[in-house]
Amino acid sequence: MEVVHNKDTQTQSPTTKPSKSLSPWAMARRKFMRNKLAMISLVYLIILSILSFLAPFITTADVTLVNIGQMSLAPSAEHWFGTDTSGRDVFTRLLYGGRVSLFVGLSCTTIILFIGTLVGSIAGYFGGTVDNLLMRFTDFMLNFPFLVFVIVLNAILFGIVSGLWVLIGVLSILGWGGVARLVRSKILAEKENEYILAAISIGCKPSKVIMKHLLPNVLTTVIVQATILFAGMIVAESGLSYLGFGVPQEVPSWGNMLSASQQPNVLQNMPWVWVPPALILIMTILSINFIGEGIKEALNPKSFR
Amino acid sequence: MKNKSFLWLMAMVLMLSLFLAACNSEQTEGETPGDGEKTSDNGGSDSDDSSDSGSDGSDDQASDEPTQGGTLTYAIDSEPEGILNMAFYGTATDAEIMGFMVDGLYTFDENLKAEPNLATWETEDNKTFTFKFEEGVKWHNGDELIVDDWIFALETLAHPDYEGPRYANVKTIEGAAAFHEGEADSISGIEKISDYEVKVTFDKARVNNLVNVWSYPMNKKRWEGVPVKDMLGHEFTRTKPIGTGPFKMGKVVPGESYEFIANEDYWKGAPNLDKIIVKVIDNKTVVGALQNGDVDMVPVHPTLGKQVEKMENVDLVTYPGLSYYYVGFKLGVFDNEQKKVVEEKEKYANLKLRQAMYHAINREEWIEAFFQGYGSKVNGPVPSAHWISADESELKDYPYDPEKAKNLLDEAGYVDTNGDGFREDPNGDEFVVKFSHYASSNPTFESRAKALTQYWNQVGLQTELQMIEASLYYDKIEKDSDDIEVFYGGWSTGADPDPSALWKSDMLWNFPRWVNEESDKLLEDAIDIEVVGTDSAKRKKLYSEWQQIVNQELPMLFITELQETQGVNKRVGGVEYDVSGSNNPNEWFIKQ
Amino acid sequence: MLKYALRRILGMIPMLLLISIVAFFLALAMPGDSFSGEIDPNNTDPEYIEEMREKLGYNDPIHEQYFRWVSNFVQGDFGKSTKYQIPVKDLILQRLPNTVMLGVMAMFFTYIFAFSMGIYAGRHPHTKMDHFIGGFNYFLLAIPSYIAGVFAIYFFSFQLGWVPFSGSVDIAVESGTLDYWLSRFYHALMPSLILGALGTATYTQFLRNDIIDNSQKDYVRTARAKGTADSKIYNSHILRNSIIPIVTFLGFDIVQIVNGALITEAIFTYPGLGQLFLTSVNAQDYPTLMTLFVMFSFLVLLGNLIADLLYGIVDPRIRVD
Repeated sequence: MEVVHNKDTQTQSPTTKPSKSLSPWAMARRKFMRNKLAMISLVYLIILSILSFLAPFITTADVTLVNIGQMSLAPSAEHWFGTDTSGRDVFTRLLYGGRVSLFVGLSCTTIILFIGTLVGSIAGYFGGTVDNLLMRFTDFMLNFPFLVFVIVLNAILFGIVSGLWVLIGVLSILGWGGVARLVRSKILAEKENEYILAAISIGCKPSKVIMKHLLPNVLTTVIVQATILFAGMIVAESGLSYLGFGVPQEVPSWGNMLSASQQPNVLQNMPWVWVPPALILIMTILSINFIGEGIKEALNPKSFR
Repeated sequence: MKNKSFLWLMAMVLMLSLFLAACNSEQTEGETPGDGEKTSDNGGSDSDDSSDSGSDGSDDQASDEPTQGGTLTYAIDSEPEGILNMAFYGTATDAEIMGFMVDGLYTFDENLKAEPNLATWETEDNKTFTFKFEEGVKWHNGDELIVDDWIFALETLAHPDYEGPRYANVKTIEGAAAFHEGEADSISGIEKISDYEVKVTFDKARVNNLVNVWSYPMNKKRWEGVPVKDMLGHEFTRTKPIGTGPFKMGKVVPGESYEFIANEDYWKGAPNLDKIIVKVIDNKTVVGALQNGDVDMVPVHPTLGKQVEKMENVDLVTYPGLSYYYVGFKLGVFDNEQKKVVEEKEKYANLKLRQAMYHAINREEWIEAFFQGYGSKVNGPVPSAHWISADESELKDYPYDPEKAKNLLDEAGYVDTNGDGFREDPNGDEFVVKFSHYASSNPTFESRAKALTQYWNQVGLQTELQMIEASLYYDKIEKDSDDIEVFYGGWSTGADPDPSALWKSDMLWNFPRWVNEESDKLLEDAIDIEVVGTDSAKRKKLYSEWQQIVNQELPMLFITELQETQGVNKRVGGVEYDVSGSNNPNEWFIKQ
Repeated sequence: MLKYALRRILGMIPMLLLISIVAFFLALAMPGDSFSGEIDPNNTDPEYIEEMREKLGYNDPIHEQYFRWVSNFVQGDFGKSTKYQIPVKDLILQRLPNTVMLGVMAMFFTYIFAFSMGIYAGRHPHTKMDHFIGGFNYFLLAIPSYIAGVFAIYFFSFQLGWVPFSGSVDIAVESGTLDYWLSRFYHALMPSLILGALGTATYTQFLRNDIIDNSQKDYVRTARAKGTADSKIYNSHILRNSIIPIVTFLGFDIVQIVNGALITEAIFTYPGLGQLFLTSVNAQDYPTLMTLFVMFSFLVLLGNLIADLLYGIVDPRIRVD
């Protein structure tokens, strides 16, 4: 899966050095607003999130209830997207599935960014032995093939901890390495600036220097990275669930819904079960990517659009 | 750097690869009709017409008379382990593959009674058997089959270095234990009379000595000099196995496909087919492959049955299966050291509770929904196709009757005292049924389990479902783990009807930990030669009585027995199935 | 350079040791063992299972098990697969050629598509075709490979019958002949296309941007001013500079293929290492699982090493580190 090792990160870093123009955020916002594709994507994503997170209020059907009398029905007025082989309404599951998939994606991204930024900034700021130790550890974590490790770890934890949190935990624990590296390299570069040296020399505490002066300057990189991660984690969740190593089957998620396509009769005769989650998933990834591109463009002082 | 040539090279390679791809598919399609003998089956050739016309006959009418020649593609939908040696294999898939090339001493008829195959036998007391081998049977390498080959197989199984799971199939022979411990050079109970005759003495008379003993010979001459501990990994086991069966093993692509070539010297007559290709395919491609004619025969999961039935080019063959599914209750805790149930669990001890839970389930609806009707309900632990199965009238039926279920629960004291809509136990404490089912990547497991919990919810029993990873599942059940209360499972019965291993109170795999002296006694009597002698009617009667007890006491709720379903392309003829499996593949043919 | 390479290679040793420990403890922490769930009264009995557990050393102290495993591993004895009952080494050797073939073909497709699209888009930026390629790339990035795989089987194998849907070779062809290799190629075509599509978008985009960047550089202007033909500028001056950084991605490709093979092989029932890994997880086949885990980790390590070394060659400043 195309999650962790993103080739872009290596090459883009020199070009996106934060500049010190006047109110850069306002300028970025204006640029972003003018980017149609990104705006459409943003609107789509917001609507999708609202629908998903309000799913319990929008639909009345119990999402887990097996309905033997209504199995495998084609789309109709009553069931907009038909029902699956358990007699569950596909539309309802799609909404609940979005809730789970987006939640997993969002939680993983948040946790990964937190750990990654923490480790990266500490390593970058203090340097020396601390840096060495932390980075060796990061390298170590990065040396495991992501998917392979996730599958094994998930298989271990599956019986012990239950529910979504296993997957979120596993994905987060294994995913922060790239962010840590990125943040460290940005901090290393930033640290050499005179204003930081000045701040340190007048006796600012390290935590303050990092929080107030360094982090805001690496923020742009982190934000762009966040969109990549967000998309990546959603794909990871759905892919793992498809293979049977993701969220538990009773939890509706897009990946779990898609795994129904492994049944030949569903694949061939009941496209309404697996095509909607596939399309929504693809559209979600697309729009996240567009938003990411939009942000990158907006934050890039060199681009005038 | 010569950039231009670099680009050119890339372009050339791309062109070439496209060309080759096209070329390849043409070849496989174009070659087959002309080449009478070797019809190739390529996953890509989109019609079976080409291979159909491959054989040399020129009848212009389709007929049901067996015809010679042709290649049949047989698919299996789970991955084999590749242990192609009867003495060592572990999965049914491997056995299915070997079915084309090996013969046993005896086979089973449609009532699962043993009938002579490679050998006939005589016994007076069910302790000593004399086996007479068919003369002139040839191994695939030309050696003649003699009793030494069978003795060799028995000694292999009993050998101290033997790593397979079948020692149990020889340990009943007199002296096998001593040989297994390394204290004797041979098994004292085996006495060779001539090349075609052998006398086997068991440690005691049993009714099932015959069907228990190992029945597959191994070619002694060929294996000579291979130590037992090296057999498992040997190429004779892996890629170059031989047997005495209708087909010889040709090429092997491990884990993927196996080629079988007709054994012209087969002792029951040469097969009609020239070749059988066994292919491993993924479950999700079964339907497509059948439809396109990429495979001729494949076992079909019940959920796909309806779809296969609709196909114009394929017949769905159904035959009774030997497996049943149940919902079990943990009634105690087993101690494997002492071999007995040491502690009783109270939660489901009330028979009325269990009966109520049985009546609450709409089995017909459930079977129709999740097995598409390729199953039928059972009320006891023996599938109806088996000869020991009790008559339907002898067993109590537990029809779907939620009102009765509610009444039973009321009577037993399970009533809703706090008004939350769910019943409390007789002490007024909260009562939650914890139901477990195994999980795998198959998404129907969760919904079928969930459906069962809903039935119980409907009669006021609050039920929680827990899906447990398949490999862990039976481990937990076996160890009487605390979180296992009510559990879903399936058993399949073998040809030997003795259910002791699953039901006697001193057995580890008696999962409900059900202790019933009467049941233990009946099971012991049924295989006691003193009690039943050689009279199978008498034996059946005991088993019927035993089934009635189980049916009354309900340590398990028996849900369904399944039909086996097999998709067979209409161009294939001569295929028959009964409860013991398919007929001999040497009778199969491709219609002209 | 040599010193740098040597230092990097030596640095791998403690990493490998740690990886082996992690692999071992992960396998240990997995629920059950290879006998779990092997309950079939027609085929086996509890005593046999207990006996085998003892024989295989499942009941020995943990550190003994670990050192036994590591010392055997270093000597090239990876143990015996509990599922297939043959040495893991043989098992891996059986499957390795398939995965290698899949990987090489996938990389080949990645490069072919990325180069043709990237170079075109780079030479003709902001044209319709460039936008089309850009859009196409977005789709490639957004479609998870398993969805693409399912669609591919559905259309190309079932509806159109163009390519096989499973397996690695047609058994009817004689091993070693041209037909045999064609059949191998034919079976790997679809999975490798799907796998190859994974990296294509990133490369294309990178190449395009790099070519555009380069075409505004001074040396290109100089060349133009001298009257060099446009095609020559692009093909010999710019492309050379743009290919160099791409070479350094080779290491990452290995990582991608390890991850991607897992999914692609599972979908196409292609008997390679990825499928073997999934089977070993499901079957609690720990000797195989641990070996593959170490092997995959080693490949990633190697990939990163190659990337670093190549980078070191391309950009000498890196070597100072």
